[in-house]
Amino acid sequence: MENEAIRLLVADLIGNDTAVSTDDGDSVFQNIKSGFTTGKLVTLDFDKINLLTTAFLNAAIGQLYSEYNSDFLNSNLKLTNVASEDKILFVKVIQRAKEYFEDKKGFEDSANKAFYGGK
Amino acid sequence: MNQIIIRIPSRLTSDVEGYKNLISIYQKVKELEDYEIIFDFKYTSWFEANLSAIFGVIGDYASDKGNTLKLKDMKHTVQDVLLRNGFMAEYGMGKIEDYKGTTISYKRFNAEQGLKFSQYIKEELLAKPDFPKLSSLLAKRINESIYELFENARTHGECSHIYTCGQYYPQKQPARIDMTIVDLGISIKRNINRYLKNNGKPTKTGSQAIDWAVQKGNTTKTGNISGGLGLDLVLEFLKLNNGKIQIVSSDGYWEYRNGKTEMRVLDEVFNGTIVNIEFNLEDSNYYQLQEEISLDGIF
Repeated sequence: MENEAIRLLVADLIGNDTAVSTDDGDSVFQNIKSGFTTGKLVTLDFDKINLLTTAFLNAAIGQLYSEYNSDFLNSNLKLTNVASEDKILFVKVIQRAKEYFEDKKGFEDSANKAFYGGK
Repeated sequence: MNQIIIRIPSRLTSDVEGYKNLISIYQKVKELEDYEIIFDFKYTSWFEANLSAIFGVIGDYASDKGNTLKLKDMKHTVQDVLLRNGFMAEYGMGKIEDYKGTTISYKRFNAEQGLKFSQYIKEELLAKPDFPKLSSLLAKRINESIYELFENARTHGECSHIYTCGQYYPQKQPARIDMTIVDLGISIKRNINRYLKNNGKPTKTGSQAIDWAVQKGNTTKTGNISGGLGLDLVLEFLKLNNGKIQIVSSDGYWEYRNGKTEMRVLDEVFNGTIVNIEFNLEDSNYYQLQEEISLDGIF
């Protein structure tokens, strides 16, 4: 059975064409998460977005790695209508998010080991 | 009411001397309460108008402590640009039209006014009638850089207000825009040393802390939103643009220009952060990657 698909238009979600703030990015993240929770395939459409910052993308996209892994995201999230000069931002944000959450996990594992003991 | 006269230097420029002079003024007014503070501009012949953002922070800080402020004996050339950029309006002296088309208004935003900041940049930076015709990608990169800095001030500074002001210098070689963003929130040094202490690492001086903050991947964020890219991205762009960035926070001064970094310890402390970014408008770089990136399987 194919999963239902939804298209999220970023410009509509944030109410303007400049995707620059952390808060707006978090709002997009919550909408993506909502789609995933209801078993949907999500298309994130950047049509009409004229400006993007890493602050926005860290919250909208990077934050996904706090709950989902690469395999899941590649299977369930599609990005469309991203301006060609902006694609490099996605590459950097995703790479950074992977490092960040890997470091975070490593730190938390060490902290847990130190506290609870274990090999 | 007690009165104090603070003499403003002959030149206020966007360089380490200019920042030192302004921090000195900040330190002088910092402890004053219920004074009449007179800023004496009699000897001031040059005031780079983007620095209004720093002066504005100082003025508001002083006003909040019950002081009244006056500007005295300003030369016409200095007064003209500060009337055009709206700074003088803060002192009840009105505003005039920017007939030269070179100012980006002095403004104060609170942390929730991101949308207003967006509108300000669109109207003031991009839509000026006499502004040079930048390539659309260059304009976009300039815009992105300014937003990254504003968002940094908002999220890391934890400040109530962010002050901005810009100035277009068409006569300089090369022609340039300076954009200054200031807050009186948590300094970079305090933010970073708090993070480093919590992680059992040695603390840093003011300029070392700024240097740490601009390295790719370094961030004090610990929640579910990663960081550590914004300043590096701005630096990457400035390298290509042949622009400049100066960051002042606590007792640290940090500058990147022409492929070189300069760091200094300042004699006096600024309890917040000043960022001045200078964009080279005679930049003919293409700003487009040669190879198309695919976002399939990007995660």
